[in-house]
Amino acid sequence: MDRVVAWASRLVFVFLYLPIAALIVYSLNASDVNYRWEGVSLRWYAELFADRMLLETLRTSLIVGLLAALLATALGFLSSMALVRFRVKGRGAFLGAILIPLIVPEIVLGVSLLTVFSTVGVPAGFLTLVLGHTVITLPLATLVQMGAMSSLDPSLPDAAADLGAGAFTTFRRVTFPLLRPAILAAFLLSFATSFGNIVISTFTSGVGTTTLPLRIYSQLKTGLTPELNALGTLLVVLTLAIILIVGVGQLRRILAGGPDQT
Amino acid sequence: MSRTRRDNLAGALMMVPASIVILVLVIVPMVIIARDSFAVSDPLGGNLGGFTLDNYAKLLDPVYAKTMGYSLGMAVLNAIVCTVVGYVVAYYIATRPARRQPLLLLLVIIPFLTDFLVRTFSWITLLGSGGPIIGLAKLVGIPATSLVPSQAAVVLSLLYAFLPVAVFPIYASMRAIDPSLREAAADLGAGWWQTHARVYVPLSASGLASSVMLTFVPTLGVFVIPVLLGGGKDPLVGNLIVTLFTEFRNEPLGAALSMVVLVLMLVTVALAGVVTRVVTKKRSA
Amino acid sequence: MKSKALAAVGVTVVAALALAGCSAGSGSTSSGGSTKLHIYAWSGEIPDSVIKGFEKETGITVSVDNFDSNETMISKLAAGNSGYDIVEPSQYAVPLMVQRDLLAKIDKSKLTGFDNIAEKFVNPSFDKDNEHSIPWVWGTTGILYNEDCTGAKVTGWKDLWNPKYKGKIYMLDNMLSAYIGGMQVEGLKATSTKKSEIEEGTQALIEQKPLLAGYNSDNYADLVATGDACIAEAYSGSASAKAVASNPSVHYIIPEEGGTLWTDSFSIAKNAPNEDAAYKWLNYTLQPEVAALATDDGASASANEAALKLVKDQTQVTNPAIYAPADSLKKSEFIVDPGDALAYYQDGWTRVRAS
Repeated sequence: MDRVVAWASRLVFVFLYLPIAALIVYSLNASDVNYRWEGVSLRWYAELFADRMLLETLRTSLIVGLLAALLATALGFLSSMALVRFRVKGRGAFLGAILIPLIVPEIVLGVSLLTVFSTVGVPAGFLTLVLGHTVITLPLATLVQMGAMSSLDPSLPDAAADLGAGAFTTFRRVTFPLLRPAILAAFLLSFATSFGNIVISTFTSGVGTTTLPLRIYSQLKTGLTPELNALGTLLVVLTLAIILIVGVGQLRRILAGGPDQT
Repeated sequence: MSRTRRDNLAGALMMVPASIVILVLVIVPMVIIARDSFAVSDPLGGNLGGFTLDNYAKLLDPVYAKTMGYSLGMAVLNAIVCTVVGYVVAYYIATRPARRQPLLLLLVIIPFLTDFLVRTFSWITLLGSGGPIIGLAKLVGIPATSLVPSQAAVVLSLLYAFLPVAVFPIYASMRAIDPSLREAAADLGAGWWQTHARVYVPLSASGLASSVMLTFVPTLGVFVIPVLLGGGKDPLVGNLIVTLFTEFRNEPLGAALSMVVLVLMLVTVALAGVVTRVVTKKRSA
Repeated sequence: MKSKALAAVGVTVVAALALAGCSAGSGSTSSGGSTKLHIYAWSGEIPDSVIKGFEKETGITVSVDNFDSNETMISKLAAGNSGYDIVEPSQYAVPLMVQRDLLAKIDKSKLTGFDNIAEKFVNPSFDKDNEHSIPWVWGTTGILYNEDCTGAKVTGWKDLWNPKYKGKIYMLDNMLSAYIGGMQVEGLKATSTKKSEIEEGTQALIEQKPLLAGYNSDNYADLVATGDACIAEAYSGSASAKAVASNPSVHYIIPEEGGTLWTDSFSIAKNAPNEDAAYKWLNYTLQPEVAALATDDGASASANEAALKLVKDQTQVTNPAIYAPADSLKKSEFIVDPGDALAYYQDGWTRVRAS
């Protein structure tokens, strides 16, 4: 049965990369339109690098995504610690509140966030974007880390304490390494969510801080340009390249850690 | 570890940062929305304040119940599909050698670095009349024209959009399961299904619950997928609220509908929590 | 552990530096005087060549942000302190914004070249004496169809109600646009404010719904070009023009039952931080050779009459998917906001969508 699972999972990976493969092919298409093939060309890559405004939106999205994901992961880590380990009172209310951004349609949250920011007098820009994205990624980061913490064997930190380890040492040497994969998962998920967000960005972006998805969404009316295929291809290929250059082994030491569980 | 006063204090302190963010950027906006849902709207799109129940009265129109019903059905379907597929993938990743796991996690998330709309259009081309799938079907002799727009395309696209949100929490909770439990179960003669039913599913329950929550709830707010892949004839609640806020210029009505969705969802989540607690208690008893 | 912490610190520092660099680059609108101009516009309607030309001529740095609907733009402006100087509302949005006091009155004495604007956009129904808006580009709402698929020439809205094309018809996913077809197919004015007439339009749309493949304002032009759709209600402009250019069987027509016009104009936002620069922008874009770039580089129809003969590729000027022929526009009118009748449209549209 494990073999069936493995094959099914590999199929899912194929499913995940199917549109990406198509994207890579289209990005080399000389035609103005995706649906017709007119020969191989690097024309869209040239247009992409000449498109100053598109690249600026990419930078905005990267910065906002990194900051929001860091913030959400850190806040989520602290609160899931408090909720799971210390079983702070009022868990239900806190969880309910943290879920609200998932439930309320983004346009509603976006409009009311706009009201809050303009009432307080915070000008729309990087700060409001990061805060807005933190709000919508916080539930993801918290739930992912809570899941990991509640499956953690509670006897482990206790055993460490019994062996005379202080609270901080226990955390650093036992709890934290076990949680590292979950922290990584929370960060990645938060970053991807922020990086792809359209609606909250609509209402929290300001002069000169258009994000990449906003720019693309506004192009829907006139049609998406094939240079976006080139951009998508580059983002995927570059990330894969970085992973290979940094080295999978290195990556493990930086990110995975924890006792080898196999 | 016994719960000491110091633990309580540490726990409370850890909650402070997130609580501030939630208070200012979630609770306050919600209060504004709740207030707006009782406000009088003016035809120009302004919000005149005041107090009226008209907005809620308008929601009694069967149109809204119909959209709500369709959306809930779609959300349930999406949550089930995503969580099942997510469970399979998460289990696969969590049982690989530890050093390969981060790589596999990254592989799950990397496709999402490309823009959502660009990916969606890629799907449209793949599923469309000129795409490889229809081409293959024609070669085999199946008379197909185009898979877009269709309900199947919507379900597929929703799975694509929400899969990481299902995989990650399940993986995170499975990763912490002691692998010796699996061996122990095998030693006791438990088959694959039994091992999962008795060990993996219960121990990753919180991850599974997160996955269901994270896929079920946001489906209601989706508004691009139903239009691009489903033809836009059957709107989800998300589409409807966007229409109310933009084309109808009626923020109060949109706010009222949002409040209804919010209360409905919170009640569902709370009920699910109570049920889970009762079930776990019974089991441990 | 250490390397992880280091990596995190590194990322944060880089991000913070980049952030600082950005805010130094694009922020501080007030201190820069008139050296900056912030534009909030539809995507694709201001070609890069226009922006670069303006920056070169005036030395003013331009930043452009795009919106996806008039309503989004209005709510951002209504929140106050948006920081934008020039905004680009559609015709029906202009009076709404004027009534909500979001647009500054344009001082005509500061303009040169306003007489270049084509007659139908001077003193239009939606903005008396162009007090708040200078039309930039315009277009029509018509029909895009694929002759290979329909097998016949299409002449009007009635073809979107033809059962022969069942499952291959798209309508625009926008209330007022969908009602253009719904009203005109019944021989009614698209701008009607009469309850009974709007009800007729509603019934026509409900009757049509089973024939539709869907409502779509996004990729209908691609769908028609590939033949996945036979016939679609469409806006003129770059998307339709691209479909017509890519496939000789695809045509764009103004329906014989009537036609409707839209126009996107430049307006100055109330309390614009850089008003001088905004006037410079209006004057720059009123020049015929600049306005012609909207067609050459943006595949949009320019509202500037003097620009037409300066368009390099004159086939664009005769392409109905960009410039609708003058005789087909005789019956055409601007789609304006229905005012109080909006409630009737909303009520009807809600029923159409739920049917």
